[in-house]
Amino acid sequence: MLRSLSFSGISKPGRPGRPILCSLAMAWALTLAVGCGDGRTPVTIYSPHGRDLLQLLEDTYEKNHPEIDVRWLDMGSQDVYDRIRFEAANPQADIWFGGPDTIFARGAEDGLLEPFRPSWADAVPEASQHPKDLYFGVYLACPILVYNSAAVSPDDAPSDWDDLLDPRWDDEVLIRDPLASGTMRTVFGMILAKSLAETGDEAAGYDWLRRLDAQTKEYTLNPALLFEKLTRQEGLVSIWELTDILLLEERNSPLRYRFASSGTPVIDDSIALVRGAPYPEEAKAFIEWAGSLEALVLAAESAYRLPARSDLPGEKLPAWAQKVLSELRAIDLDSDLLAENGRRWMDEWDRLVRGKGVDPEPP
Amino acid sequence: MTSPRRSGAWALAALLAWLVGYPLLITVGEALGLGSGFTLEFFQTFAQRGGEWLALWRSLWISLASVILSALVGVPLGFFFERAEFPGRRLLGALVALPVALPPLVGVIAFLFLYGESGFVSRALMALFRLEDAPWSLGGPTAILLIHTYSMYVYFYLFTRAALARLDSSLLEASASLGAGGRRTFFRVVLPQLRPALAGASLLTFMTSLASFSAPYIFGGGYRVMTTQIVASKLNGDLEMARVETVMLAAMALVALAVMRLLDPGQDLGGTVRGIPPARRNFQRPLVRWGASILGYVLALVLLLPHLTLMLVSLVPVGTWTVEALPPVLALGNYGALFADPQRLQPMLNSAWMAAVATAGALALGLLSARASLRVKGRLGRLLESLIALPWAIPGTVFAVALATTFSVRAPQFGRFLLIGTPWILPLAYLLRNLPLTGRAAFSGLRQLNPALEEAAASLGAGPWRRFRKVVLPMVRPALAAGGVLAFITALGDFVTSIVLYTLDTRPISIEILASLRLQDTGLAAAYGVLLMTFSTVAFVVWGREKGV
Repeated sequence: MLRSLSFSGISKPGRPGRPILCSLAMAWALTLAVGCGDGRTPVTIYSPHGRDLLQLLEDTYEKNHPEIDVRWLDMGSQDVYDRIRFEAANPQADIWFGGPDTIFARGAEDGLLEPFRPSWADAVPEASQHPKDLYFGVYLACPILVYNSAAVSPDDAPSDWDDLLDPRWDDEVLIRDPLASGTMRTVFGMILAKSLAETGDEAAGYDWLRRLDAQTKEYTLNPALLFEKLTRQEGLVSIWELTDILLLEERNSPLRYRFASSGTPVIDDSIALVRGAPYPEEAKAFIEWAGSLEALVLAAESAYRLPARSDLPGEKLPAWAQKVLSELRAIDLDSDLLAENGRRWMDEWDRLVRGKGVDPEPP
Repeated sequence: MTSPRRSGAWALAALLAWLVGYPLLITVGEALGLGSGFTLEFFQTFAQRGGEWLALWRSLWISLASVILSALVGVPLGFFFERAEFPGRRLLGALVALPVALPPLVGVIAFLFLYGESGFVSRALMALFRLEDAPWSLGGPTAILLIHTYSMYVYFYLFTRAALARLDSSLLEASASLGAGGRRTFFRVVLPQLRPALAGASLLTFMTSLASFSAPYIFGGGYRVMTTQIVASKLNGDLEMARVETVMLAAMALVALAVMRLLDPGQDLGGTVRGIPPARRNFQRPLVRWGASILGYVLALVLLLPHLTLMLVSLVPVGTWTVEALPPVLALGNYGALFADPQRLQPMLNSAWMAAVATAGALALGLLSARASLRVKGRLGRLLESLIALPWAIPGTVFAVALATTFSVRAPQFGRFLLIGTPWILPLAYLLRNLPLTGRAAFSGLRQLNPALEEAAASLGAGPWRRFRKVVLPMVRPALAAGGVLAFITALGDFVTSIVLYTLDTRPISIEILASLRLQDTGLAAAYGVLLMTFSTVAFVVWGREKGV
């Protein structure tokens, strides 16, 4: 019915009278449709996780809690933050699930989160928690070096961050736009933090980033474009996040990864209760479950998520996760330093480094 | 000038000010730090940064160049498909408008597969001339202009056709009988008659390129314009700077609107009574006739290459196409996945009903406002005209956030209601976003209308409603149809507004495309894109019929 109505809306654009009637009829139909809830309590999740993980968690949770209707809206992590911010006066979401802890920190600063300490919180490393229990790490995101195995053999692939500056990769590096990406911000932050620790200022770090910029062929808008361009060999190497590359590998993509030998700046992929959530008790129960052994193993097995809890028995995890955990050499990043300087660093990078190593711009 | 007419116009202006102006005022207020003490600090920072002014200047010249280039492509195409008669004209004429309907997100990927460094064209040239490296890389201002021209000539094309359909053949006959040649008639008679339509299309193109984000972001490389600057500030958490940049961009759009009015003071053109469009040129010689037809097919083919690429991509199973010139495997699996699960088709229905409701509303509101504006004239008329153009003066995301901020609190005494989280906010956003399209179309249609017609109807005893229905509507129908079909298609494929405002019940198709791309399922995303294009094509074909009255 909807279809026929909508077509009448366009077929007579010259007669606004009829489409208005149609829209009224549709409004009425829609009000009816929306009015008929099924009696379950809705728990609304805003999340940058993909459909694969969210649908899985929804189905599993609803099977065990028939009285709950898990509803999720998937969007970018920046979009989640934006929405929760402008909805603050009238929150629509119960749970903010996923995204780097740096953006959660912004949410905490703006007073958008409600403290809630789930029972599994003690098993999460202290660095992955907010001091006032506003958010907790659920999964670990690992920035890694990516290469196209159809053009680069595993032995030739870059094995540390510095290798990206090798002349071999001149104009072969593709980078996701770092402003838009928590992963890239963390890697760039790691470079600048290292420079600060070793030399006392950021000059060496900016110099490194400028050299990377000269190697970089393009900053791509989104991951989809990054993967397409890597697959089609417009560039051969990149920096990205482990989960996506494992998913691609499963789908016969030629993209493969290597851990950086000097260490990986691991990112906490967190969860939080939204302040003023419409159904806080139900939301707490879901958060409790999302960090449970059952849910973490499920996410690891089906969606390549690495659990943040350190108390899980290794043999419960799938083989890929055990392998990754044995290879992973995490480096400690001072998250306070990153939170304090992140914005200024990226602003300066954007104005003073981006594009300065390549292509002189026309006036 | 009767007083009920004025009060009606005031009521409309108040409605538009509430829905369009108010959210923007709230944004400006935040840029000035009104909630927490007035400050010009961020404006000062803006003024001191050379990079900001450079970005503003680039936005300006790119937009002006886009207008000129789009006109150079769109107007001749409009003439060709409206004035010449040849086999296949109707269908091809509809297809040529499709660039405006290239779906969001995946459309860019289609472009990449086609014209990118690793695309068909580039690889074909490499094979042909035995080149080592790709002959070009798509980037910089040239690429931005190319894409703007490709996606925006459609405004000129549709508006030109609508205006030509209302051209009065008696004018041409008079001109010819007075001894004017074809060229003279064109420049002295036809072109002036087209002026409202061309002014409308220019304004739309200018505003669209000013607020265009994807093209400069994806293809601009390091070439920063104002919209990409806003997003960079926002992503970096520098919300105050982003607001100041938005205000500056909106200010520039308003200045452009004022300049446009100076250049085209907008007097009515209705000098004639009869409005029978001149007959199409029917080529007698079969050679010319078929030549025109072949030209039509070639034009449509070239312009639809990105769409065809997208169709090809939609047939590629995941992970099978890497460095080959053509995909090695083609299958219908992506469509199977799409139609097997009713949950995956729901977004299509959502987009369809929301676009239909929004278009109907935008047509009604646009027509009423344009009519009121032209009737009351003066300051009030100009206010109405500006309010209609305003939703495009700022980038879509910013407008959506402004709207969401305004309607996220329940404070009826301040005219603020709770709309976020309801299914109504998204259609409302589509409606307001597309108001410039339907409003401009209505303006150009009404200005071609002869007031004597309405006066005649009035003297014969027809009431206002009857005059509107029997005289005005039929006359402005081609223009409204052009604006309506554009509005419908824009709403159908909208991404930037949707990502900010969609709810569980109004999940639109563009979000589904995004979701597929997030899981690296380009083929499925392309299949959604093809579905979207099919809807748009149907809309254009219906439009072609409508126009052919």
